[in-house]
Amino acid sequence: MAVNVKVGLIGPLDMLKFKNMSKVREDYIQAAPANEITADYPINKKAKLLHPDYQKLVIAEIIDHPEAASKTYIFKAKNGGPLAYFRAGQYISLKMKIGESFVSRPYSICSSPKEALEGTLAITVQSKADGFAADYFLANAAVGDEFTASGPQGNFYYEDLRDAKSVIALAGGSGITPFLSMAKAIADGTEDFNLTILFGNRTEDSILFKEELEELAASCDKIKILHVLSDEEKECYEHGFITADLIKRLAPEEYSVFVCGPRAMYRFLESELPKLELPEKYIRREIMGVAKDISEIPGYPEGAAGKCFTLTIRQGPNEYTIPASSEESILVAIERAGIVAPSRCRAGECGWCRSKVISGDYFAPEENESRRYSDRVTDNIHPCVTFPVGDMVIEVPAEYT
Amino acid sequence: MNKHVDIVVVGAGNAGLSAALHCATEGKKVLLIEQHNLPGGCATSFVRGRFEFEPSLHELCDIGTEDDPGEIRQMMNDYGVKVDWRQVPDCFRIISKYTDGTPMDVSMPFGVENFIDKMEYYVPGSRPKMEEYFELLNEIMAGTAYISSSNGHADSEVLKKEYPNLLRTGAYPVKKVWDAMKIPKKCQDIMSTYWGYLGIDMERMAFIHYCNMFMKYVAKAAYIPAHTSHEISNAMIERFRELGGEVWYNCRAEEFLFNGDRLCGVRTTSGIIECDYVLANINPDIIYAKMMPKELIPEREKKLSTARNHNYSARMYTVYVGLNKSAEELGIKDYCIFLAGTSDSAVEYKNLLGGYKKNDFTIFLCSNIVNPDASPAGTSVGFFTSMGGPEEWSRLKTEKYVKYKNLYAKKFIRMLKEQAGIDIEPYIEEVCVATPWTFARYLGTPEGSVYGYETADWDGMMARMMMLSSDYPIKGLRPIGAAGPRGDGYSSAYVCGRLMARLALKDLREEGG
Repeated sequence: MAVNVKVGLIGPLDMLKFKNMSKVREDYIQAAPANEITADYPINKKAKLLHPDYQKLVIAEIIDHPEAASKTYIFKAKNGGPLAYFRAGQYISLKMKIGESFVSRPYSICSSPKEALEGTLAITVQSKADGFAADYFLANAAVGDEFTASGPQGNFYYEDLRDAKSVIALAGGSGITPFLSMAKAIADGTEDFNLTILFGNRTEDSILFKEELEELAASCDKIKILHVLSDEEKECYEHGFITADLIKRLAPEEYSVFVCGPRAMYRFLESELPKLELPEKYIRREIMGVAKDISEIPGYPEGAAGKCFTLTIRQGPNEYTIPASSEESILVAIERAGIVAPSRCRAGECGWCRSKVISGDYFAPEENESRRYSDRVTDNIHPCVTFPVGDMVIEVPAEYT
Repeated sequence: MNKHVDIVVVGAGNAGLSAALHCATEGKKVLLIEQHNLPGGCATSFVRGRFEFEPSLHELCDIGTEDDPGEIRQMMNDYGVKVDWRQVPDCFRIISKYTDGTPMDVSMPFGVENFIDKMEYYVPGSRPKMEEYFELLNEIMAGTAYISSSNGHADSEVLKKEYPNLLRTGAYPVKKVWDAMKIPKKCQDIMSTYWGYLGIDMERMAFIHYCNMFMKYVAKAAYIPAHTSHEISNAMIERFRELGGEVWYNCRAEEFLFNGDRLCGVRTTSGIIECDYVLANINPDIIYAKMMPKELIPEREKKLSTARNHNYSARMYTVYVGLNKSAEELGIKDYCIFLAGTSDSAVEYKNLLGGYKKNDFTIFLCSNIVNPDASPAGTSVGFFTSMGGPEEWSRLKTEKYVKYKNLYAKKFIRMLKEQAGIDIEPYIEEVCVATPWTFARYLGTPEGSVYGYETADWDGMMARMMMLSSDYPIKGLRPIGAAGPRGDGYSSAYVCGRLMARLALKDLREEGG
């Protein structure tokens, strides 16, 4: 049976209608006025404010915390106005020029999201044993200095679609900063969950934001703070480390555990947290940088340690030949050479430094592996957690500045 | 000295990748620049915890089998691009209501015979009409292929002789043709399901456009790559590099440069690039408003933009979930479930544009049904897609953003539980919600839209195809992508990219370049 479809009353007119489609369209176009073409979209503008390519910041105030070898830096937008809104717990990647190097460091935001809309944003920087950038920043950054930072980044925040209504926060030292932001956000009504902070420090004197945290806890019954001192036994303080037993003692029926602190604390918790018998979804860790001694990591190629290699870096129209130590990540080699390259989390997670290996061998530790499946197959790497084990040719994206 | 190449492709989205590959295959020196740090645009992926998420691709049509390849598989073969394609088991399951108000829960299979059989099961007595319908679809497919191959110069005598039913039905909307053919109402309701893939309801979508997509899915089945659409984009980039193509990431085109009225280069965030031609994966409104001298914009282009009136169709809204139970444990059996308050697409489209309260439409996909290894053992990964109008997302205040987007997520998670009996809420280990703001951020498209312009009424796909020679008046510059003649969707974008690249090379030959 041959199909013979008629839609209109008379078949041949349909044919004409088909042939006329161009004419109908042309008539429609010609009937429209030739207005000036615009492309200003509120949605795009709001998206840009929420996720800027970068933020130009200026230091407005510095607060010293000598007890914790730290300083809090309060920034304002260079051109005034609000800063990018964020989710309490997120970080910014702060760019610095140190000597001839362009480096970045991720710092958790310790102010509240509301304050960002009011035009300020704070981070706290602590002096570390081998903290090259932190120490430079602590010694040199002054009120009025200008910096470029990323927009707010990271996935370490409370998410009511996923997390339990109560969060037990495990903080060590300067790892308190994201939780300070969360507590402020709860206190001002931006966030709505119960936050119990177990804050580990060596001694009572070295506790960062002690008064501020206690004031927040006193002002809002959703926030609780418990100090745990490792080197001192004092009344009203827990003594020792943050253990599973301590968490169980404080925990409600349903809870999530959030962890942010130094590497040693993560190592200790590796044997403690399983005792809680929580599904993995209820344990969230802030990202941790790459291991200090890469050659200790299982799987590190034999004979690669202690060497120096040559990297050819292609970036847009430019090509650089630079030295690289086997001990340092490819990103560090790029920064040392004074090349402005993308980086944010410096822990493999965010993928902002994603680059393409054209040739050469490398080592990417499994504990920092967050690459996409097909990126691993096609030699796309995250240079912040990838180490050269021979001479390499790499294509690196530009960075927006 | 400025860099000089033959062709700059701006934007490594699906159309850009395809255009770049075509030009490189033809021996041109091509530079592909991309504002993000990876290729793909929508065709990408992201990692959260132990999950890698597919951001946009539901299923790709026109892949076909290795022995009987569809247009897209053939195109990838021609380019030399290798992708691990995995066939989706069924067309779709839809849980909704027929337009007569009775409940609908149907699963439709691939293959014309199977489809007709299943339709007869759900709508007894529909077989003769459905057979007639598919006969018509075959003719329309063949006719469309002929028109596409003619680059806007189809011979009307050939059309009249070979494809008379195409001429008789092509200018009408889907609903009109269905009614004229007396397709049973329940069959119409079931076959409307795919409307959201093109972003236009059945009362305004050109029959020819819908047929093409519908037939490509039903007859040739649907596929997804084994490891998210980032796998496709990466495979295309790898091949492009092999062919000598150059890629610059984190590089944004800021302005097109002209010598008189002919394009001669692009100013980018990485410097000026001189070139003979630009294929720009950018919506024309943005090009004309922000990226080139006003005096070079022809009157007709201004009229065209005014006529289109910033009508970019619906905006996407998605919720990505990584679950700490397997699909089997959660009772997920279907790859693709449409949950819709009504099967009347015109009513549904209006509801969607009406905002949170009226929106009762979402599509839930679970990748593990197609590829068990889409996430680690004992887990599953999936996403909800819905659409919304621009108003609610234009008005929304920044400080209300998270609460508002999560309201949608909760609604869809509840719908899946209540309508399909699948409760994922306690098992969400990772979750991410993308809104028009998110799409605007990553794609830079107007209002975060992914559909280009509505392909409806006077501005349908066929009318655009027939007017290729008058729609692209800027010398040395062609916009490509969803706003192009083929409309939105992965396969349309790949086809559009190649078509525009062919036309660009033809322009260059005619200029004697």
